[in-house]
Amino acid sequence: MKTPAPAKKPAPVSHNEARTAASFDMLYRDHVDQMYRFATRLCGEPEAAKDLVQETFLNAYRGYQTFRGDAQVSTWLYAIAARACSRMRRKRKGAPDRELSLEEFIPTSEGEFRLQIPVDGLSPEEALQNKELRQALDRAIAKLPKKYRMVLVLRDMEGLSAKEVGSIVGLNERAVKSRLHRARLFVRRELSAQGIATSKPSHNGHPFMQGGR
Amino acid sequence: MAKRTTTRSVQPKPAHRHGKGRCVAILKKLSAYIDDELPGTLCDELRKHLGACPNCEEFVASLRQTVALCQHQPAPALSQAERARMRNDILRAARPH
Repeated sequence: MKTPAPAKKPAPVSHNEARTAASFDMLYRDHVDQMYRFATRLCGEPEAAKDLVQETFLNAYRGYQTFRGDAQVSTWLYAIAARACSRMRRKRKGAPDRELSLEEFIPTSEGEFRLQIPVDGLSPEEALQNKELRQALDRAIAKLPKKYRMVLVLRDMEGLSAKEVGSIVGLNERAVKSRLHRARLFVRRELSAQGIATSKPSHNGHPFMQGGR
Repeated sequence: MAKRTTTRSVQPKPAHRHGKGRCVAILKKLSAYIDDELPGTLCDELRKHLGACPNCEEFVASLRQTVALCQHQPAPALSQAERARMRNDILRAARPH
């Protein structure tokens, strides 16, 4: 069945390989933006994100035959990326992955109950036109211990269901929800602590910024 | 509905009066509450509490805002050139020689 391939050419392409390459191209075309977005949210910096995307598609290419189609292609890719990410991080050895306890999120003063950022009366899209707010949110997410960040990014940013997140990170739904909740509380506290000023002050100041009750 | 309402008469004015244990119990459920995943009775109970405790209500609002911000945070896109360069790099690495 094989066509005799001249051995000297740099990349002898068998029928199978050609098929794999064609499906890979489709896979890459359809999902590279999604994976880059995911990787950027996980890694923070664009260069690390690009490395992660390359690693993800390389592993996907190599494992393409093993993909049986019983999961969505994107879920399969997310899982490959999540694994690649923890491998790459381990090599870089960042901060230890600490546990977040609920107690640490109980506000201790009146001002901590609300977000000290300009979001009241604005849609999230409008609020996020404020560059400072976008950066503060990125910083807050980057500060999350990685296992919490993974769940928050997959669930709240990539929009996967708790069940899908569970299949990617190897947790049951309950554990996913518990992790997600702590991650959200963490980001809330970070945002609240950063206290961003309004970018375009409206007449006599934003009601949101007027401190206590 | 069948649950007793023990927190009701406590707060005549805005204050955060309940103890830490109660706070943790409430705090624990807030994501399920904003995701609409709490069973009816628990949800009613929590809503009743929030109505009586402005601080907790603000806290829930701020958690909801946080989640909405995460959901809408824009992400950078790859340029056409980067996309093509990465594809070539991947294929080069994937082929043995």
